[in-house]
Amino acid sequence: MSSEERKFLSVSGLKKSFGSGETRQEVLKGLDFTVGKGEFCVLLGPSGSGKSTLLNILGGIDSADEGEISINGDKLAEMDEKSLTRYRRKHLGYVFQMYNLIPNLNVKENIETGAYLSDKPLDIDELLKILGLYEHRHKLPNQLSGGQQQRVSIGRAIVKNPDILLCDEPTGALDYNTSKEILQLIEEVNQKYGNTIIMVTHNEAIKQMADHVIKLRDGRIRHDTVNTEKLTAAEIEW
Amino acid sequence: MNNISFGKRPKNPLLKRVWKDMLRDWKRYLMICLMLIVTIGFVSGMYVANNSMLHSIDESVKLMKREDGHFRLSDMADAETIRAIEEGDIPVTVYEHFYKDTDEIIPDDEDYTGRVRIYGERRDIDLYDILKGRAPENGNEIMIDRMHADNAGLSVGDIIKAGNAEFEIVGLASFVDYTTLYESNTDTMFDALTFDVAMTTDEGFERIRANTRANYAFTYNDEPDGEYEEKELSDKFLMSLAEISAGKGLEIKDYVPAYANLSMTFARDDIGKDKIIGGVLLYILTAVLAFIFAVTISTTLEQEASVIGTLRASGYTRGELLKYYMSAPLMIVLIASVIGNILGYTVFRDMVAAMYYNSYSLPEYETLWTPEAFIRTTLVPLILMLVINIVIITRTLKLSPLRFLRHDLKRSKRKKAVRLPKWKFFSRFRMRVFLQNIPNYIMLFVGITFVMLLITFAVGMPETLSYYQDSMGDMMFAEDQVILSRTVDENGDIIATGADGAERFSIESLERRSKVYDEEVSVYGIEKGSAYVKLDETEGNSVYISQAYADKYKVKKGGTITLSEKFEDREYKLKVYGIYDYSAGIAVFMGNEQFNSIFGREPGSFSGYMSDNMITDIPEEYIAKEITSQDMIKVADQLDHSMGSYMLYFQYVCFIVAAIILYLLTKIIIEKNERSISMAKILGYDNIEISSLYLFPTAVVVFFSEFAAIFLGYKLMDVFWRMMMMEMSGWFAFKLPVSGLVKEFLLVFAAYLIITVLDFIRIRRVPKVLALKNME
Repeated sequence: MSSEERKFLSVSGLKKSFGSGETRQEVLKGLDFTVGKGEFCVLLGPSGSGKSTLLNILGGIDSADEGEISINGDKLAEMDEKSLTRYRRKHLGYVFQMYNLIPNLNVKENIETGAYLSDKPLDIDELLKILGLYEHRHKLPNQLSGGQQQRVSIGRAIVKNPDILLCDEPTGALDYNTSKEILQLIEEVNQKYGNTIIMVTHNEAIKQMADHVIKLRDGRIRHDTVNTEKLTAAEIEW
Repeated sequence: MNNISFGKRPKNPLLKRVWKDMLRDWKRYLMICLMLIVTIGFVSGMYVANNSMLHSIDESVKLMKREDGHFRLSDMADAETIRAIEEGDIPVTVYEHFYKDTDEIIPDDEDYTGRVRIYGERRDIDLYDILKGRAPENGNEIMIDRMHADNAGLSVGDIIKAGNAEFEIVGLASFVDYTTLYESNTDTMFDALTFDVAMTTDEGFERIRANTRANYAFTYNDEPDGEYEEKELSDKFLMSLAEISAGKGLEIKDYVPAYANLSMTFARDDIGKDKIIGGVLLYILTAVLAFIFAVTISTTLEQEASVIGTLRASGYTRGELLKYYMSAPLMIVLIASVIGNILGYTVFRDMVAAMYYNSYSLPEYETLWTPEAFIRTTLVPLILMLVINIVIITRTLKLSPLRFLRHDLKRSKRKKAVRLPKWKFFSRFRMRVFLQNIPNYIMLFVGITFVMLLITFAVGMPETLSYYQDSMGDMMFAEDQVILSRTVDENGDIIATGADGAERFSIESLERRSKVYDEEVSVYGIEKGSAYVKLDETEGNSVYISQAYADKYKVKKGGTITLSEKFEDREYKLKVYGIYDYSAGIAVFMGNEQFNSIFGREPGSFSGYMSDNMITDIPEEYIAKEITSQDMIKVADQLDHSMGSYMLYFQYVCFIVAAIILYLLTKIIIEKNERSISMAKILGYDNIEISSLYLFPTAVVVFFSEFAAIFLGYKLMDVFWRMMMMEMSGWFAFKLPVSGLVKEFLLVFAAYLIITVLDFIRIRRVPKVLALKNME
């Protein structure tokens, strides 16, 4: 990995606060870190540590008060509303804890909502097979289990082959086995498509499968470590 | 990286969803679509039929050589006088257009009493369109007006008696100068029920025993360019005519230029106005439906906030989402426009035309394919729908993706809930439901007000007519008024009557001139100590005005009125001494001698007799006009005939519209609260309790909205009514008795009760699992 690739995503002096006056609360108190291209980065921390806020700022759906974010040389702070939408469209995929699928579109059509955003989307049928959803492609979301729905949402995010896949507690609403299946899928996606993955979680075990672990507490980075001996998703337990 | 296969960019999958959305919520879309189809269909039909009829009326003006005006002289003019008139300041061609006014008797219908105006054969002016049968060919044959024939149940082959002569009806026609059957241009309303226009041969004309009216039609030799020039020419021609006729010792009894002739213009104007009113109603309804759509979509945006947040976070632009959310309303308008226009050109066109043919004597028409119908019933509703929805949807879509993801779509800064008094739990709960749904309730109020305005018209119109039909007789100050054509007979004796209680009176027709309308005012001179019109003694220029005059022109005691001689510039400034309780006409009252003095008549002069007993002993040749209560009621009768029967249907339509609007809006309120309803079920509330929580606030809103809407509807209707009456002769106050108000209230409330049953079923069907699904 070249030095440019190592600094594919670079964050410096990032600050964010909510409220004003006496109710003002500083959520991010000056963050500096980089994420390499194709890296699987886990943002770890307890509730209220600022990890989701950080993810939203990285995703261009929230703005920082101070600091700079650069993704592959593009500076987010310099982008207006339209450019940010274009940036998200072109470079980002989002997976949330809740699947947020469109209830009256079937599995394939839900994935097509992501494919539509790209000029060169992944082959949907092949992706459906990777996701283990090919047999269910004509089903509506309410005919699927929680795990299957999360697979669809991952499919929707990944189908446009984004540079960065942002995952906000993707296993937060799932049971142990399903969570592991989802983690395996994310791992597989990362390996097959080479997307940079930034995953927010409070599950300590997940850090074992990451390339890069950033631990947050009270809006500050407590640990920023690179995993030299990472486990596969199948190997981790909690 | 492993081998990656790429595919093609699919078409926007959200567009597939539009159809699915419409199918999933087919009841809502169907209701809106049906309402639009019927309205667009009706208005489109109205545009097509009206434009076609207007075209046919305009075409007939030239084709059937319609007069530019007519005048009636006190006696027949000789050839020299006619030549002088034709060669006067304004060159015209004058045509003898004599007629006889007489009673029309239908031998097979003893109850029928009517009047017929019979012309001799029309050859050069004011021709006709024969709609059934043929023109008369001998002295025993007659051709009558088609509209009147329909109303009187007459047809080709029937016999009528007129002026002691019997005629066989051989044809039914529309006369180009009588598209509306006004007996006199000063009548408040036309009368196709008891007034007929007919044509016989010259031989037949001679057989009729009645006075020949020296009526002359004229056409300008140089056609005026536009209405303004026509008016100018008409004024100049009248001056020239007045001068010439006075020089020949003739009096102008009547002068009506074509542009002011209600018989020729009323139908045209009415058709034109209805088109505008129809268009305005369509736009108001489309706007109401557009707001309902907007409120529905706003609720959907709230429900789908997470999905929208995810799509926006993934890179969907606001424009793409706006396009998607706008698709359904626009498609509905398009579908409704296509179907509505097809129906408009077929079913509704015939329906609308039938309505007009039920009132007016119109020539046959050919359907004109008019782009105006398409523009007004497709493009305008589409634009309205587009603009209203774009404004409201864009307001919400402007919020950041994060706020959608957090379901934080409220624009107000208020973070805390409104503090409520320490009411019981259920009352506070209901108040919360109310506060949460204020935008929906505002729409509900607007919708109810709109419906109520329509219902006020539908209920008030027949109520007003029936009020006047019932009380017009009582309003007359004397049952019979006979106006004499002369007050002394051939022997020089004063024409008298032996009718009990008969009193002499004088009458003069003056005009109250204004830019909008020149109103004819009957000025009465009443005998001192009259039993019929009880006045204080007035003198000088102090007079009483009728209640109708005071109401229509908002004149108060002590005010001044200015009246003018009809065909002269002479003006009379009169001071209002009092308001006389007479609502049947626009009239001025004063003492008879005061009257004679004001109008320069000999002391003791009079115009006729009035009595509560019918005056039957004055020979017809001395009678210029007779006014009975029946004559007054005919206005209300004609309006009732033209519009009354439709009003009941219109009430049904309003009921359906009210039900649909209530259905659409209450549906939104329940859908918005489905999750809470589901949760309440899980907590153990039963359906009745839940319904009382969610339906009660709506019931209260409907209840109070109805009261406010009835008040607003009545006030608005009063304004519209006044505007309508200001362009007409006479005055009808809009009457809506308490029973009418109660009917209005019950109509809308009945619609609401039906919808409440549906809402209750809807609440019962909300599944308990809903609250447990997709909770964030």
